[in-house]
Amino acid sequence: MRDVIVIGAGAGGPVVAKELAAKGLDVLVLEAGPRRADPRSEWTSYENDANNPLTGFLRFGPADRSKPAWFRETPQNSFLWQVSGVGGTTQHYFGNSPRAYPGVFEGYEGRDKSRYDVDHLFPFSYEEMLPYFQRVEDTTPISTAAMGPNEALFLKGCETTGLPVQTQRTTTGPAYRPQENAILQPGGHAGRTRDENLLVYPEATGCTMCGHCFQGCMRPARAPRNKFAKRSTDNSYMPMALTADVWAEGGKPVDLITDAFVMQIHTEEVGGETTATGVTWRDGASGDIHREDAKVVVMSAGCTENPRLWFNSGLPNPNDWVGRGYTDHYFDWVVGVFDEDTGASRGVGSGARLDFPPHGAIMQVGIPPAIASFAATFSDSGIRGHYGNGRGGTGPWDGDAGRFVGPELKELMGNGIDRLMFILVMTDDDVEAQNRATLSALPGDEHGAVSKVEFHHRNRSGRTRNNREALVRKAVEVQRGAGARKVFRLDWPPLILHVQSSMRMGRSAENSVLDPTGEARWVKRLFIADNSAMSNCAGGPNPTLTSQALSTRTAEKLYTKYFDGDPFVGHDDLVVSTDDRISKRLQELDL
Amino acid sequence: MEDPMIARRSFLARIGLLGLASSGLASGILSAGPATAAPLDLGVLRQLLQTLSLDTYKGLAAFVVPGDDAYSHAQGTADGTPGAIAAKAPQFLMDSLDDFVGLPDTTVRYATQALATGLAGSNVDVPGLSLLPGQVLALDNALTKLLATDETIPLSLPVAGLLNLVATQVNPASVNGLFVSPFARLSFADKAKAFEMIETTESGLVAKLDVNLPEPLAETVSGVLKFVAGAVIEFTAWGTYSEYAAFDPKSKTLDGRPVGWKLAHYDHRAEGYDSFRGYYQGRKKVSHA
Ligand SMILES: Cc1cc2nc3c(=O)[nH]c(=O)nc-3n(C[C@H](O)[C@H](O)[C@H](O)COP(=O)(O)OP(=O)(O)OC[C@H]3O[C@@H](n4cnc5c(N)ncnc54)[C@H](O)[C@@H]3O)c2cc1C
Ligand code: SF4
Repeated sequence: MRDVIVIGAGAGGPVVAKELAAKGLDVLVLEAGPRRADPRSEWTSYENDANNPLTGFLRFGPADRSKPAWFRETPQNSFLWQVSGVGGTTQHYFGNSPRAYPGVFEGYEGRDKSRYDVDHLFPFSYEEMLPYFQRVEDTTPISTAAMGPNEALFLKGCETTGLPVQTQRTTTGPAYRPQENAILQPGGHAGRTRDENLLVYPEATGCTMCGHCFQGCMRPARAPRNKFAKRSTDNSYMPMALTADVWAEGGKPVDLITDAFVMQIHTEEVGGETTATGVTWRDGASGDIHREDAKVVVMSAGCTENPRLWFNSGLPNPNDWVGRGYTDHYFDWVVGVFDEDTGASRGVGSGARLDFPPHGAIMQVGIPPAIASFAATFSDSGIRGHYGNGRGGTGPWDGDAGRFVGPELKELMGNGIDRLMFILVMTDDDVEAQNRATLSALPGDEHGAVSKVEFHHRNRSGRTRNNREALVRKAVEVQRGAGARKVFRLDWPPLILHVQSSMRMGRSAENSVLDPTGEARWVKRLFIADNSAMSNCAGGPNPTLTSQALSTRTAEKLYTKYFDGDPFVGHDDLVVSTDDRISKRLQELDL
Repeated sequence: MEDPMIARRSFLARIGLLGLASSGLASGILSAGPATAAPLDLGVLRQLLQTLSLDTYKGLAAFVVPGDDAYSHAQGTADGTPGAIAAKAPQFLMDSLDDFVGLPDTTVRYATQALATGLAGSNVDVPGLSLLPGQVLALDNALTKLLATDETIPLSLPVAGLLNLVATQVNPASVNGLFVSPFARLSFADKAKAFEMIETTESGLVAKLDVNLPEPLAETVSGVLKFVAGAVIEFTAWGTYSEYAAFDPKSKTLDGRPVGWKLAHYDHRAEGYDSFRGYYQGRKKVSHA
């Protein structure tokens, strides 16, 4: 019998695992995908090899790349982007780590109070969240992003908006700034040379501005795993969890089993209450089925797989909110064409942003050409110049919104990837019951019925739609301010990768799955700690920091409730994930 | 009432199979002679379908990123530089769809059968069919048998089938001509119209597929096909502008500069760039409040 079993090693799971390992609990982490112990031998920096959602080494699928990806049904024009393996989708992520807006928490009294998703607030105050934000920020660690040409250009555009510069971590109103990033900033030769012989640790430290954040960070070359520039959890929290005995007094390293797909959560009736007792998983290589029991089970399988696991386990759903209220920031994409170097293919995924509460946020994005072309052909507004699919609207951007196809696409890309600037629109979208993860009617796979993710994007709330339009206009303004010769709007259908709130924590038992401590309302000793536990979409800011802060809080809550522990956040010595003791221990363990 | 034989013939013509089977490319596979319906070898049929799919995806590749190839010429948008076909996007699409979309086999079968029956009746006048009834019957029987018995139906097949069916709706004359796939024979503007028909909910075309399916799969199959039909555009672009065509998966190295990188002027370096431009307003740290 374990103390705690954590299901999934993405953004949330490793945070819980690390915190509880530090307290000496016996923690088992089960991850459906692989752990890449030596990325240099398995990865490349090529887009299709890395990111093809069907075949890439970063995909939602089994460790064995000759097998197909795991299928999910998306019954609409949309794209769901999730990654399996230790690090989960943070292997893809860009490390942007803004805090959720204060307006999405209970007790907020700002003048714009009524303009947030007031029916679905976090069931505690921003002030209560603050120490958890800070703990994640200091552990990861998070710092102010360096600029490359792309950031410099975007910030120049922001300067023309008349908005102020934000110089603190809490967002109190519309403002622009460099990102606070989960990236070690460039040191030594990093960022100063293209010579790969010089871009080697320790002569180069931190971000080498290689432009491959999406393809997974394994830089600088020869750096210890916990000193790779990008702080995806395979580089930050998971190494800590695996070495907890060397950096925490009384710490106990977690057991990690990969290629282990959890298929069922077991429950028993204890004292008249349904209570989680353990899990069953399937080993991907052998197909063997294993079962293990625990005092507490933590689901961290993400917004799409948690509901599936819940339903496949036959767990209760009395208010019908399991899987509902899924938010995705209703992204949009605004492309600017420039006559000068934008550096879009070099540097971090994003180093600068403009927060625009209560509408959401926009940020500049740097990416290589395959994903740029994908982004330019993805639209809910048909094909530019041919049909609008019932939308295709005009506005301050040039021409119709819509996808680029044919000679237009070739011309756009032919400007050169480094003559384009991309702005991502991240909408503060409402929690709506209609947007959800449920089970597909299609035949299941080896792990049972598969997920179906439904977004009714043409039927979103008025507030969501208006927010998005306000942000798109702001993005166009920034592009023009930066000097764009042409500005295009794509009108994306759902690109589901900022995922939130499908198993939401809430004040009201009417519209939430988790109580305000993160425990399932109808299953005791079952907690959820990842993006799905979020009460709402955070207001538009990239969700991971908020999800990890919430996971830290949940770890503390379950520790005090079921293991008689004391609250620890703010009371213990903080250890940074780059600590030398962790590097040394990883090496000894050959991890 | 429509004569069922004519409906089947029209269907086979519209997906491009009839034209292919009666063309020089497949000479001799259909036994001559008016009324005989000698069974057709399924292996041969599989190969024909593969040829047909590949040709359809060539037509699609040229649509998404035209180049200096025959397909781009045929749609009227050729230019002097390579495009998606040179970047091997058609093969990329076929491989991805057939080997890596973890869609359950039964679903692909349902989708294909739905396509073969659900849309067959939509009356489109197809000109100039030369095959005789016996041969049509042989072909049709073979296809029906294949769809019922083959263990796996490649997903590329129903997707290509959908593109071709819709192509002949947009322009019935596309049942005949250059290439094998009716979709590949369309002009650029007509290809865009074909996607409009697939994508636009009002046309209800894809929904017709659901008619003969058991609940609760009905909406599911059309939903999946609709999703895939849209995704093939994005995937074609992706394949074209990635390293795919120049990448050797065994050695994980490139055997030259990928076409898409040239087109996008992408200077790829694995380890890093000299892109550091300092910190905005010289600020390396903000207040943690
Ligand atoms: C391209 C891209 C860029 C992004 N950039 C940013 C950014 O800059 N900032 C930001 O805040 N966010 C970013 N995100 C979003 C970020 O990746 C997510 O917020 C985060 O990873 C979600 O964490 P999670 O723990 O909820 O889920 P995941 O990270 O998806 O982790 C879930 C894990 O559980 C595993 N799992 C699933 N089911 C099972 C099961 N049944 N049994 C065992 N294991 C299972 C999965 O394999 C996976 O490893 C980005 C995402 C993408 C795709
Ligand atoms: S740009 Fe920096 S953080 Fe991103 S992958 Fe390269 S080195 Fe890592």
